[in-house]
Amino acid sequence: SVVFSSYSASLCCSQEGGEIRRLGKRFRKLDLDGSGSLRVDDFMSLPELQQNPLVRRIIDIFDTDGNGEIDFIEFIRGVSQFSVRGNQQQKLNFAFRVYDVDKDGFISNGELFQVLKAMVGSNLQDAALQQAVDKTILGADRDGDGRISFHEFCTIVGELDFTKKMVVDV
Amino acid sequence: MELFFNPFDNLLCILLGISFTVWFTLLLVFIIVPAIFGVSFGIRRLYMKTLLKIFEVRARCLSISIIAREPTSLEEEIKEIRRSGSNKDLDSASEFEMSDIFYFARRGVESIMDDEVTKRFSAEELESWNLLTRSNNNFHYISLRLTVLWWLGLLIRYGILLPLRVTLAFTGVSLLVFLTSLIGLLQNGRMKNVLSEKVHLMCYRICVRALTAIITYHDSENKPKNGGICVANHTSPIDVIILASDGCYAMVGQIHGGLMGVIQRSMVKACPHIWFERSEVKDRHLVAKRLSNHVQDKSKLPILIFPEGTCINNTSVMMFKKGSFDIGATVYPVAIKYDPRFGDAFWNSSKFGMVSYLLRMMSSWAIVCSVWYLPPMSREEGEDAVQFANRVKSAIARKGGLVDLLWDGGLKRDKVKDTFKEEQQKLYSKMLVGTQEDRSRS
Repeated sequence: SVVFSSYSASLCCSQEGGEIRRLGKRFRKLDLDGSGSLRVDDFMSLPELQQNPLVRRIIDIFDTDGNGEIDFIEFIRGVSQFSVRGNQQQKLNFAFRVYDVDKDGFISNGELFQVLKAMVGSNLQDAALQQAVDKTILGADRDGDGRISFHEFCTIVGELDFTKKMVVDV
Repeated sequence: MELFFNPFDNLLCILLGISFTVWFTLLLVFIIVPAIFGVSFGIRRLYMKTLLKIFEVRARCLSISIIAREPTSLEEEIKEIRRSGSNKDLDSASEFEMSDIFYFARRGVESIMDDEVTKRFSAEELESWNLLTRSNNNFHYISLRLTVLWWLGLLIRYGILLPLRVTLAFTGVSLLVFLTSLIGLLQNGRMKNVLSEKVHLMCYRICVRALTAIITYHDSENKPKNGGICVANHTSPIDVIILASDGCYAMVGQIHGGLMGVIQRSMVKACPHIWFERSEVKDRHLVAKRLSNHVQDKSKLPILIFPEGTCINNTSVMMFKKGSFDIGATVYPVAIKYDPRFGDAFWNSSKFGMVSYLLRMMSSWAIVCSVWYLPPMSREEGEDAVQFANRVKSAIARKGGLVDLLWDGGLKRDKVKDTFKEEQQKLYSKMLVGTQEDRSRS
């Protein structure tokens, strides 16, 4: 707990002490081997996460330094994007990064296909999926480069009222 | 040089003496004697009704809201997000929308923060407040009247109820130890069994009153008989007292040290309980053998077992361990459901030790619960122990109004099969195909 309190002291994110305590408790609960960072295995031990087709994308987004593990700071930063105090921009950014697998700032045809496939599994034919993907990119791509930039993404999604939907109680 | 007696001192002594006698007599007459004979004056039920009236009044005057999210289905939520766009041109919309991931992303982070399973292991949150701060984590200062009421409640609980209950508990436990040791001196035979039964029942009843437990037993015609195994869902160590005050059981457990050990050792003198040494607990075959030996002897009492293996917070029933279902005896399922309005009976063993738990219990308002005796079940042809265990578990969950969860109560965090993920994928695919069909029809 000394470690956690020093973390909370140095963090400059918009969170109350109470929230950080709860997050700390949750982090420790998830950290099965007490290593101080969460790996995919620790997350996959939660039955409801195993059920979620996008769980690996979410973990990947949390893992900002890309070392395959999520330490406490990454955990707090990740969860805070779903806080009730988060702004629309943050949440749009998160959603964008779900699609942008290689983190290059663009959603390519292949990446969109990958994510859609994860959500659908083997229940739809690849051809039908590819059709849906092509249609979406056609509709969204304004500058004709064959992929969707963050700006184009915001144009499609930004007007939807999703801010309330992307909120999790901490 | 005569002794100077302050007349007030004298008076004080007399008053103290009288009040002590009165107190003790009341205790004896209203609590201990009925306990011995198994009679009830109905005082506890009256108390319960009064408390309920007070809580209802409170609940109407104020509302402490705990953020409750209405559960929405996958389809509902995804469609809601899609529809929320202002200038959506439906004709050019594809079956798949970029916003569809919001649902999964949110569900994912939600599960990371607080999953259904882990929630079962912490106390269920109450909808309205029962004047115990321990059951409301979001307590803020609301009104002067409420605070005064709370302080009053605190005074009553800790000043009057707690000492009374501790006295009773002390009486009950010491009587148990003393009397069972006495009975142990008798020869084995009918007399011993009858006496032991009476003694056990009496002491458990005193303990029940020590907790101010108001128990309603349903379907007593299904009570467990000799040579059977009684199986129940587990919320707290009090479950034992609750069940054992209505019938005689052979307990199963590990031998502890300290006070618990003393109680265990004296109990076993009066009638055959099954206590294991710590080393023997690991040996499954030994355990199974002892249990089946006991069960085959029809003169011995039914065994009481809690197959979940751990305390669950009484909102659900977790996976039953199959050991007790493998022995081939008749199983008598029992469902225990606590009423959370009066006090949270759940023992969170990672948070509280046994003593602090008992103190919490004794300083709650009351413990109100219902016990349902279900009709006996046996293993059917072609059914293995696990299936039998699950069948019993569903019956218990249904009767007690608890959620029948598949997850393992030991929460060893075993890998759950992929089928759950595949279900979600199927649901989403169905939705996509559905919208396609809708459009082709119009």
